[in-house]
Amino acid sequence: MLAIDVKDLRKQFKVQKNRVGLSGAFKDLFKREYTHVTAVNDITFQIPQGEICGYIGENGAGKSTTIKMLTGILVPTSGELNVNGYVPHRDREKFVKGIGVVFGQRSQLWWDIGVIESFQLLRKVYDVPLNDFNRRLDQLVERLHLGELLNRPVRKLSLGQRMRCELVASLLHNPAIVFLDEPTIGLDIVVKTEIRDFLLEMNRQEGTTILLTTHDLQDIEALCSRVIMLDDGSIIYDGGLEELKTTWSKGREIQFQFGEAMSISRLHQLTSTMNVAWTRENEFTATLFVPHEVNFSEAMGLVVGGAQIRDIKIFETNTDDIVRGIYQTGSAEVKESEDNTQADHVQEKESVLS
Amino acid sequence: MRYMKLMLEYLKNYVKSRMTYRADFWIEVISDLLQQGMNLIFILIVFQHTPLLGGWTQSEVIFVYGFFMVPFGVFNTFFNIWNFGERYIVKGEMDRVLTRPAHSLYQVLLENMDPPSLFGSIVGMIVMAVCWLEMGLTLQAIDIVVFIVLVLGAVFIYGGIYTALSALSFYSDSPTGIVPLMYNIQNYGRYPVNIYNKLIRFVLTWILPFAFVGIIPASYFLEPKEDDISKLALLTPVVGLVVLGIGLFIWNRGVKRYRGAGS
Repeated sequence: MLAIDVKDLRKQFKVQKNRVGLSGAFKDLFKREYTHVTAVNDITFQIPQGEICGYIGENGAGKSTTIKMLTGILVPTSGELNVNGYVPHRDREKFVKGIGVVFGQRSQLWWDIGVIESFQLLRKVYDVPLNDFNRRLDQLVERLHLGELLNRPVRKLSLGQRMRCELVASLLHNPAIVFLDEPTIGLDIVVKTEIRDFLLEMNRQEGTTILLTTHDLQDIEALCSRVIMLDDGSIIYDGGLEELKTTWSKGREIQFQFGEAMSISRLHQLTSTMNVAWTRENEFTATLFVPHEVNFSEAMGLVVGGAQIRDIKIFETNTDDIVRGIYQTGSAEVKESEDNTQADHVQEKESVLS
Repeated sequence: MRYMKLMLEYLKNYVKSRMTYRADFWIEVISDLLQQGMNLIFILIVFQHTPLLGGWTQSEVIFVYGFFMVPFGVFNTFFNIWNFGERYIVKGEMDRVLTRPAHSLYQVLLENMDPPSLFGSIVGMIVMAVCWLEMGLTLQAIDIVVFIVLVLGAVFIYGGIYTALSALSFYSDSPTGIVPLMYNIQNYGRYPVNIYNKLIRFVLTWILPFAFVGIIPASYFLEPKEDDISKLALLTPVVGLVVLGIGLFIWNRGVKRYRGAGS
């Protein structure tokens, strides 16, 4: 069964145009001009139950707007939407009982009262039976190590402590789908790892569907089997993370430490027959970029055979670089122009050299 | 029923979080009462210059003011949403409200409850009792029932109007000017409406029915006057339901237009 089914979803905002200067302000006073900004532009995707899906994109790409439509906060301009069997904005009150939402940037808890009191208030709001609530709370408190925090007021918690409490607050009513909008923003690596482990475990044990937006691609690598990438309101990639890496990584980098001082021209001479690029870091160190279409062992052989070598390191292009590349070009579908970009890449490297 | 329980829960939390700020609590009560006191003194000063105001005696006008204080205190306790636009729309707290399974207005009202305002209602009842004795009116059981119904109606009128006003924030970016304006207009409803010209009287009775929170329902308990507005008194709950209905309608439509803030 599908947890989330989205078809041609669109959200447009009417934005008031502010004219420049004092005379502009006067004109605005009497006759306003509006422009329509399309935040989310006819997107279509499906998420089956039990999947963890990462939703990524640059700031302003429309991630939060999508999440807000999926959680019933915003009413879409057009398109079809079905989440957990409901149309979110239509049956909002019934619908939200089955979902959990965490906005990393905003607190869900009451500032002045103890954490446990916030939880108890949420129990009443969500109408959770006391037995279920206690069992669930014990479980969550144990897994996220909240024990000693429960009686402190929220305003006295650190960000990491607060975020763990936010997670618990959004899960007390045992939702089938959880929406996390930047759940790890501003957290240190220990808390991040703890939250990731917790989410994975929950997904495995309870089959909770999770949709999360993040700027931290390590979140995605640790959690998601699938990634949806958004740019300027449209989906530019939807598929597995591995697939994204293989189609988008352009090659490998090899760092050599030479036993003798190497000049640029010497380096070029070594690989003159191949379409590869050198970056010289200092007298003894240089990095070779080998695109996928170039035979890797052949390139290695040429260098190893032609110079004295102390050490070799091989770097796989990491997800950050891939995603940065996609953001910059604005599309993940430019398969046909891939060769061009690769050539550009090589040229870029060379221009750094010269 | 569930909503009543929820209100109790929110009240409990209000008390818990307020325990830490006890001084704040009393300052609020005292400043509220001082403001009401100033208004009463104003009435007394007016009656230094004239024995009757549009056919109403001093005791009657003060009685009307006392009556007004009762629904006004209840209203301020449960509809403390002056800063709705600023806090919920501009800062985007409405997001959180909308992810919870209870009516959005009800949640906003509960989050902003302000029980100290109820002191105003208590003082209002004392003022009424004093005037009641002074005028030598008789008290029957039915009067108390009618009183409660009229107060509820008046609270609904206030609630409806301010719900509608708050909901304007969904439609416009900053409808800030209109709330102070309304605050001024509502003051006219506390005094005998026949001292105003016809247009204002009409507006206060049928357009922005602030007359129905003070002078009209209060006149039910007093001697009939020339233009007998006490006949309208029992309409108060009806007007209340209509105004609250309109307010809710505007709110519910507004929520659909909510556009969130930032990320």
